[in-house]
Amino acid sequence: MHKILKVILPQKCIGCELCVFEAQRQLEKVGLEGAFIRIFRDGSGFSIVLDPQVNTLDIEKIQEICPNGVFEVLESESYELFE
Amino acid sequence: MNYLSKKILYINLEDQKFDLKSFPELHPFVGGLPLGLKIGEMYVEKKPLIFTIGPLNGFFPFVSKTCVLELHKGLETFYLGGSLSSRMRFCAFDALVIEGKAENPLFIEIDPQGVSFYESHEAFENAGLPGRSSKIIFTEKVLLDGYFESPEGLLEMSLAKRFVAGIVINATVSYPIKNVLEYSKIFNDLLTRGSEIHKFAKVGSFPSCVGCPLGCEKSKVGEKEGNILAHSLVACDFMSDLYSDVGVVFSCLNILGYDYKHEDLERLPSVVADLLESLDKKI
Repeated sequence: MHKILKVILPQKCIGCELCVFEAQRQLEKVGLEGAFIRIFRDGSGFSIVLDPQVNTLDIEKIQEICPNGVFEVLESESYELFE
Repeated sequence: MNYLSKKILYINLEDQKFDLKSFPELHPFVGGLPLGLKIGEMYVEKKPLIFTIGPLNGFFPFVSKTCVLELHKGLETFYLGGSLSSRMRFCAFDALVIEGKAENPLFIEIDPQGVSFYESHEAFENAGLPGRSSKIIFTEKVLLDGYFESPEGLLEMSLAKRFVAGIVINATVSYPIKNVLEYSKIFNDLLTRGSEIHKFAKVGSFPSCVGCPLGCEKSKVGEKEGNILAHSLVACDFMSDLYSDVGVVFSCLNILGYDYKHEDLERLPSVVADLLESLDKKI
């Protein structure tokens, strides 16, 4: 079974980037270069782009650190189901 | 990352030149307000606009502000939220000093490798790296990240008198973590403690400063007053209780490799008082 991080409530993102930093911490670095999660700011709204490589990390921790429940962790035998 | 000196990016608007230098002698000024005041004293005759961050910006939650000092006519200090401090950290400088006045409205793009100057809005539109930049744009008013403002329109006044129409900072530097388990423990503990401090405060769904999960409506307009230690680290003033705890601050500094001692932090109020007095005589 694959575990996949999915953005389910992008409209609730407040741009704190804690998810970005959690993912980077798991790669033993601090910063934005090579980040598997990118937050794009647009005025008071945000969009979130996930690199599929994020699913190689502990994605439960990434889900947990989000203060607004933007993410969900799904389980599947196939990635395609969620595209 | 050099933990024993402060790196200043100096920009002269008149000749559109820049210089990036490390100053080991500025290390004792820690960051934020005292660092900005000391830089202000160094360059007082140039009447610069100064942006400073502290040693924890970009590394820990709630340390999310940028200290701004304007020395054009007297001294004005304020604090901005948004992503600016994290982008300065990941562009690898501790302070940005802007001197002079541009001939025409000028846009500035800052990378770790250098600074580019643009005179057309169109060129600046394409500047920046999506998801990794902090952008200040002067249209009807000055907005950081399209949302955050300075208190009392102070940044508008500073940029207008210098003919600066926009600044973008590109964050392309990452730092390795030596002790990731301990670092993560401290990070998560601070997140929990900070969120508990604000448990009964009004938090919500407003755009947040980077590293703050609270989404509070007060982040939109920056701050003017506050605790000296918090403003030396350039933490959010609402987290003064958290970042006034010297034990907390030292665990953060130590895990990153800074060699500050208790006395260095304890003397910050007197350092700030002395610098204010000195600057008052020179301005």
